[in-house]
Amino acid sequence: MEPAARPAVVIDNGTGYSKLGFSGNSEPSFTIPTVVAVNESFLDQSETCSSANWIAQYNAGVMADLDFFIGDEALSHFRSSGLYSLKKPIHHGQVDDWDTMERYWQQCIFNYLRCNPEEHYFLLTDSPVSTPESRECTGEIMFETFNVPGLYISVQSVLSLSAGYAFLKSLSDENSDSMSDMTGVVVDIGDGAPHVVPVVNGYVIGSSIKSFPFSGSDVTQFVLQLLQERGELIPPEDSLDIARKVKEMYCYTSSDIVKEFKKHDKNPDKYVKQWSSIKPKTGVPYTIDIGYERFLGPEIFFHPEIYSADFSTPLPELIDSCVQSAPIDTRRALYKNIVLSGGTTMFKDFHKRLQNDIKKIVDDRVAATNARHHVEVKPVEVNVVTHPIQSYAVWFGGSVAASNPEFYESCHTKEEYEEHGASICRTSTVFKGMY
Amino acid sequence: MPGLRGGGGGEDVRGGFKPSSVGLGALCILRIPPFLPIPPPDASRAATRVPLLRSVSLASLPPLRPPAPRLTASAAEASRVAAVSAAGSPFLFAKMVYHSSFVDDNGITKACGCPLLPLKTHIKGPAPAFDQDKADIVDEAITFFRANVFFKNFHVKSPADKLLIYLTSYINIALKRLEGCRTLAVGTKAIINLGLEKVPVPGEPGFPFPGLFTLPQSQEEAELLRNYLKQIREETSGRLLNCAYRANGTPNKWWLAFAKRKFMNIVIL
Repeated sequence: MEPAARPAVVIDNGTGYSKLGFSGNSEPSFTIPTVVAVNESFLDQSETCSSANWIAQYNAGVMADLDFFIGDEALSHFRSSGLYSLKKPIHHGQVDDWDTMERYWQQCIFNYLRCNPEEHYFLLTDSPVSTPESRECTGEIMFETFNVPGLYISVQSVLSLSAGYAFLKSLSDENSDSMSDMTGVVVDIGDGAPHVVPVVNGYVIGSSIKSFPFSGSDVTQFVLQLLQERGELIPPEDSLDIARKVKEMYCYTSSDIVKEFKKHDKNPDKYVKQWSSIKPKTGVPYTIDIGYERFLGPEIFFHPEIYSADFSTPLPELIDSCVQSAPIDTRRALYKNIVLSGGTTMFKDFHKRLQNDIKKIVDDRVAATNARHHVEVKPVEVNVVTHPIQSYAVWFGGSVAASNPEFYESCHTKEEYEEHGASICRTSTVFKGMY
Repeated sequence: MPGLRGGGGGEDVRGGFKPSSVGLGALCILRIPPFLPIPPPDASRAATRVPLLRSVSLASLPPLRPPAPRLTASAAEASRVAAVSAAGSPFLFAKMVYHSSFVDDNGITKACGCPLLPLKTHIKGPAPAFDQDKADIVDEAITFFRANVFFKNFHVKSPADKLLIYLTSYINIALKRLEGCRTLAVGTKAIINLGLEKVPVPGEPGFPFPGLFTLPQSQEEAELLRNYLKQIREETSGRLLNCAYRANGTPNKWWLAFAKRKFMNIVIL
């Protein structure tokens, strides 16, 4: 069977979680944390070892390379035995450690997806601000180590856009005009650095990409900070994990902080939640109260100062400045289609708050123009698009994209790689002409 | 020029084909947008789609209102205030902190630029009386405290805001004193001790915001402000004890948590 006749493998590697699956499915087969637990106990051994130790080391040394785990298995092995150390290959959306990344992919393909990489085309995803060198390294690993027949490295934002479009189209029947098909601002907030990326007609406008320094892991840190300030008894070895679970279960977006404080004061039973669990080391059960963190956590996107004094531009303002730096004829279309993607955008009412804030900025500007130039400019429509598959929108877009027959023609193939070398992977068709 | 990048490579991309793959369910009948970017139909059209250089950039218009002095905190030194006028984007006025509503200060006496706003209090002092039903500046300070204490930059919109800043920082200090106090009685004693300490006025060392208020012109002005500050501090402490302690005298952890927050990065000794 031809590789082109099989479904392609779609892998979306994010800073926090990786989504793996085959194209044509509507959700990823696996969503696992991007961590690798390696056994480094045999790396530095002193010279004075007994012969028994040497034999043990030799035996292990042959298999030591294969002694690693990824994802949830990695976390559980790390906790249960002291032999393993955790490594995260991806920081802020960029791959730092290629050896670890190669191991990660190895287990993904052979242990999780259980497919033969020589028989499938691969679609990998990449951050919009990653370097061409990293794409080259990815290509090298894929073609040399795994011998894939074809590879396409796509930009995450464009996939999010097509995911949003495809999903909404399935709900309604109107035919939208061709301009809005692949035009929009993608606000991608995951565990690594969030980016605001304007895409027009499928092209990413590279110079208008803005990035926001706080991501999902910062919200977790802030929630943890607030809980600890109040003196809640959280076992320290689990603290980040608990804060993350609290964030995912209980956080919501408010429209006004002071009003939320008042609501909490009036109805503590309704708003204050409890979290009870068992301490892992002692087995003693404990409960903690969760109150203000519920709405202060997501608030760092709208008032970044409350978390860190270094950055003070709120996210709606950043999105607005991103659209303003795009070419003037695209701005209305960009405002009309602001797409959210990434797990951190799943807070309740996040899109409503974002839409209200951006609309206010835009309306103020329109009013200023009207007053200054005595004209009546048509009001700008601001639309923040949300849909239930936001947390894996990039993967879904990849699945949709890889199901097109055209996908196979646009991949970099093994023959091209052997002919020209790894540099063919540098270019991404959406940045055509830039590198 | 960050214009659209034309697909000059001459790809022959067609849009609007229908996917034939199975397993997508409802998506099978959709028109999936072209997977690759759509090149403009005419190569020369790409060159003309340069954004107009002469277009008025609305963000560069002068701000709507004259910028008011802005209170910022520096992390390095304890309370260095930079009265920097808000230059640049007019959208600095976007709501960040919560401001006082007492913007109208006709008929209010001022001392060192601080309006001596009326208070609902029984404590003796220079403050005029206020309506018992409405919220006075102390109520405002307490209501906004839990939100404003997070901010490091405070944009002063009116003279009443200066008083709000002073009160917010005082509430922070008072909460810090209440940190170890397990009962209302012990807490009240700590607050009384705080009230017996000398109240500094602008110009004296120990005043938390050196640049916020103007220096007093005369000894009477300084004494007037000192008495007003003493009165408003006592009133604030009283109302704060109501919030910080529950009905049965035990501390309310939701309020006392904010003792650890540093308003404007000011380190309280």
